[in-house]
Amino acid sequence: MIRFDNVTKSYKGLAPALDDISLEILKGEFVFLVGSSGSGKTTFLKLLLREAIPDSGTIWVAGRDIGELSHWRVPYLRRNLGCVFQDFRLLPNKTVTENVAFALQVIGRPKPFIESQVAQVLELVGLGQKGDRMPHELSGGEQQRVAVARAFVNRPLVLLADEPTGNLDPATSQGIMKLLDRINRTGTTVLMATHDVGIVDTMRRRVIELDRGRLVRDQARGIYGADLNTSTRGIPAIAAVGNGVDRLDADGPLSGRVATVRARRGQR
Amino acid sequence: MPASLEYVAKETATNLWRNRMMALAAILTVAVSLSLVGSALLLKQAVSRQIGQWSNNVSLQIFMNASATNQELANVRSMISQTPQITHCTYLNHQQSYDQMKTVLSNEPTAVDALTPAYTPTDFRCQLRSPSEAQTVSATFNGGVPGVYSATTPSQSIHVMQQVTTILQTILLVVAIILLISSLVLILNAIRMAIFARRREVSVMKLVGATNWFIRVPFMLEGLVQGLLGALVAVVVVLLSNLGVSYLIHHYKVAVLGSAVLPTHQIVTTEVLVLAVGLVVGVAGSSVAVRRFLDV
Repeated sequence: MIRFDNVTKSYKGLAPALDDISLEILKGEFVFLVGSSGSGKTTFLKLLLREAIPDSGTIWVAGRDIGELSHWRVPYLRRNLGCVFQDFRLLPNKTVTENVAFALQVIGRPKPFIESQVAQVLELVGLGQKGDRMPHELSGGEQQRVAVARAFVNRPLVLLADEPTGNLDPATSQGIMKLLDRINRTGTTVLMATHDVGIVDTMRRRVIELDRGRLVRDQARGIYGADLNTSTRGIPAIAAVGNGVDRLDADGPLSGRVATVRARRGQR
Repeated sequence: MPASLEYVAKETATNLWRNRMMALAAILTVAVSLSLVGSALLLKQAVSRQIGQWSNNVSLQIFMNASATNQELANVRSMISQTPQITHCTYLNHQQSYDQMKTVLSNEPTAVDALTPAYTPTDFRCQLRSPSEAQTVSATFNGGVPGVYSATTPSQSIHVMQQVTTILQTILLVVAIILLISSLVLILNAIRMAIFARRREVSVMKLVGATNWFIRVPFMLEGLVQGLLGALVAVVVVLLSNLGVSYLIHHYKVAVLGSAVLPTHQIVTTEVLVLAVGLVVGVAGSSVAVRRFLDV
């Protein structure tokens, strides 16, 4: 579904934001992208959306080399990639329904289709009753559900989430994770950049760790830190969140996948 | 795709309404400048029609007696061909002169009725190497040449009038062009504000994969509508001022200015031009704004 071949990206005069990254994410996987601030997570997502272009290397999305896409085809690439952000990015002057419908309107979908899809997806995210509310009338968790609904309403192949729980309390985050997991089960690939140790450690999905632009770890059923003990120590709240999420993980799509680390340190 | 057409129309209307003060400024500037353009164009056409009627670009006119013989006519012809200052000459026979009179006097039917082709004096219409020679050349023909009634040069007043209108027209056009440029900048700025006001929507649209044209079209349409509305106001202004002028000419029976009343096709052409310029200004202003401030 997503493949990076020796991708390097640097911004003017700085050390590379991404340094010779090669990895592959298969259809239906649920992947955490972890690493401290400035490790290159956001650049990674930007390159996927072709908001930025790599200095070298090739990026494949759904079998297409997105570097080869002409400028006018980029919107069609983005229709395959749903996006969720930490700050929700809802339109404050539109209702919940209008916000979700907007995503379909602006890609020219017919009205009856929009109506049925929006109703369906609002039901999926658990906001079936709140379609007429304005974003500011909703809690943070509900707003993020609207954002997820907007990202998913066009049934993208991949859902990209950039710290979707960054502004939410643990219990609410857990709800959002359940939702992302449900979406993942429909066959949608989910790639989530996060700092949330608890979520990563309890979900036990594939973890890709970046450090100063380098791929340092790619682990199936991984945890946030290099080992479980150090990673969760001192964060007792996680247990409570974890109980809810663990259940979801019972037959995750990744069970049994062998960890592969393809970081190529010191090759340059 | 009717859903997206509806969307584009709605977006354009909302944009215009939200930004109405800026839009109004842009529309009015377009209106004023295009009114000037239209008036200048009509003035130019009216004056050139009128002067053309009077002088037909002739710098020397030799009128024959209505009863001049063929021999006298041939004599004058050879005189003309021997005068080096005359570059070109056409002869209007009785019928042609009569037709000419009919158009000149179209507003004076009684005068036309009194004429018949046979009694209409014929004339030579000549162009001179330079207008300054008109006096000397006309003097030779006025010196008792048999058959010649008189040789005249267009009065000095026509030249003065021509010069005055040229100056007036130039001033009008220069002012109009300056105003057109400022209206283009105003439209550009209005669209820039609209883009800024809707940056959230734009970023979401980019995110969910709206095509570049889909994002741009409402803004371009907004500029187009502003240009067009301004042009429509100008069309009405030009039409009314033209009606006013022709009313005055008819009302006061200023027959000599009869030709300054323009035929419908010339007015329509001018108005279409005014509309087209308004459209171009609107589209140009918004295209620049969209290209510079909407990075899609």
